Amino acid sequence: MKRLIAATILAIAAAGSAAFAQDLPKILSTLDAQSDFTGKDFAAVYTIVSQKPGEKDTVSQVRMFRRDAKKQFAMLVVLPEVNKGQGYLREDDNVWFYDPTSRKFSFSSIKENIQNSEAKNSDLTRKSILDDYEVVGSKEGTVGKIAVWIIDLKARTNEVSYDRSVLYIRKDKTMLLKQEDYSVSGRLMRTMLFPKYVELEGRLMPSQILIIDELNLGERSQLTLTEQSLAILPDKVFTKAFLEQVNK
Amino acid sequence: MNTIANIAFRNLSRQKKRTILLGSAIAFGVMIVTLINGFAGAFSSNVSENFSNLMAGHIFISGTEKGPNDKDMSVIRNDSSLTAAVEASGAPTKYITRRSAFSGTLIFEGKKIRTNVDGAQLDKETFLRERLLLKDGSWDAMADETALILSEKIAAKLNADVGDTILVQMQTVNGQNNVGEFTLAGISFDAGIFGANLSYVNELLGLAPDEYQTMGIMLDGLKNTEVSASEIYARLNESGVQLFERGVKDETGAETPFQALLRKQNKESWEGVKYRLFTINEMLSQIKQIVAALDTTAAIILVVLFVIIMVGITNTFSMVMFERIGEIGTMRALGVQRGGVRSMFLYEAVFLALGGAIAGIILALIVMLGISMINFGMDSPAFLIMKNGHMSFYLPPLKAVGNVIIIALLTLVAVSSPAGKAAKLTPAEALRTQK
Repeated sequence: MKRLIAATILAIAAAGSAAFAQDLPKILSTLDAQSDFTGKDFAAVYTIVSQKPGEKDTVSQVRMFRRDAKKQFAMLVVLPEVNKGQGYLREDDNVWFYDPTSRKFSFSSIKENIQNSEAKNSDLTRKSILDDYEVVGSKEGTVGKIAVWIIDLKARTNEVSYDRSVLYIRKDKTMLLKQEDYSVSGRLMRTMLFPKYVELEGRLMPSQILIIDELNLGERSQLTLTEQSLAILPDKVFTKAFLEQVNK
Repeated sequence: MNTIANIAFRNLSRQKKRTILLGSAIAFGVMIVTLINGFAGAFSSNVSENFSNLMAGHIFISGTEKGPNDKDMSVIRNDSSLTAAVEASGAPTKYITRRSAFSGTLIFEGKKIRTNVDGAQLDKETFLRERLLLKDGSWDAMADETALILSEKIAAKLNADVGDTILVQMQTVNGQNNVGEFTLAGISFDAGIFGANLSYVNELLGLAPDEYQTMGIMLDGLKNTEVSASEIYARLNESGVQLFERGVKDETGAETPFQALLRKQNKESWEGVKYRLFTINEMLSQIKQIVAALDTTAAIILVVLFVIIMVGITNTFSMVMFERIGEIGTMRALGVQRGGVRSMFLYEAVFLALGGAIAGIILALIVMLGISMINFGMDSPAFLIMKNGHMSFYLPPLKAVGNVIIIALLTLVAVSSPAGKAAKLTPAEALRTQK
């Protein structure tokens, strides 16, 4: 009898696991869809509070404009006052940084950190987990008391900032609750927590992100999104002239 | 003429105090100018040699490969063509180094610092043991693949000791985030940028163990750099490897040839590894501008000082002429011609200038010797402009001779007016004049 019960439990677990494995692409594509605004434009204000041990908290604010269909974004620095007017412009795979003091554009990268915070340009843009990563492992677990799927991802290309990521995705409602990013050597570099979400035209998107630097203990950044909008933006927003113009 | 020269010399020795004061003024000016010239003379070669030692080469060859999205990747995958070209060039090579490097953040117990870490082949670069003096730790500990040598200053900033594990946050050649774990094996006096084993640096950069980023060719001296570089470049061209053009110059003059080369590289597109050859002189070409600026400063100081000194000399010789007016009258009455009187004053000026200038150069040489004996240590912030921790000077002989000639001429100009006035005096007028 005991054997029968054990076999039944194992069979159910195996069936569940197989179903979960089958669901993985669907889960990841749902996550991709949440951060993909193709067909619409996206604008929001990101307020980034960075904490470093022994230093005063710094507050940065950027206004982000995205057009995912054309892989474009324009990002304007609003705070701190000293960096006001600086901006980033992405056109396909090229990223430029605009410095209003020298009035010059220089090459930058999607992998660059925003205003000395733990957040990278790539954190604010469209991600395609399915394109960039392959699933190398998956299991079930919890974050706090919430049941989650834990999906281990390995980069398909070296175009992404992190070679390995582990995602903790809420089971009852596909929401990313936690993400761990690892170095090429396999060391945990940062943990991202997504405690708050908002619904924007029927899609979920995080409104608060906490990024914890796992190498420099005590260093963390909190991103808060406000003024989210999916309204169509004028084409000129995604031009160098726009970044120059807003500084005049 | 000898008699006139003798009288001029005797006149100078008759008024010792005045002569010493005037001579000292000239000597001081010459000393300052000579010191600046001497410093500028050694500055360029010291900086170049120090950089050559730090970077382990006078001539460098680096490889660049275009990755996905046209991203440049620094790598030399197979160097057989490169080593063959170096051998065929006949360059007086002391040794060849193979290195990879990255810029990363070292992290230790809440402290962090951004620095360069160079990976070297320690089994082949045995000269490093003699050149890089360790304050703490040992070279034997470098046998550990993850061993790291840090300069005293960086170790102090991290508050790290030998044996500590230090994290490094950096990016691979593809720009992906990576973290390494180094063990501090030694703390050096040297502020050099050398740090770790090539194999581990390669691993962190995402390169294969037999790959590297820059080949350094150390010659027997800086003087052979440009000729050897041209020879190696010619041999590389013959071998058919892809090469960037050498000596690209920026039209605006805002970039060094090395920076112009990098800018050009960003605009081009190619397949496979393309090599660029550059020399320590190209990397440090702005040093020549510093040397030129130092020489110009020395020339301006020379002129300003001597305008002031010339005013003093003119004034002094006007007084001398007035003091000696009776003597001039007597000489003229005894048959000395106008030219003789003028020559006497001019001789005095030349003797004064030569004496002062030579004394100034000797003084400068003594000061240089004194300063060069002080050991500022290899950890001095100015170690790059020094030679083994000592300030060094090189005074080009022609420059010293030129300075003496300029001073003699300026002094002659300064004295020409009082000398002319003295020569124009008639014997009767001179003898009649009351002092």
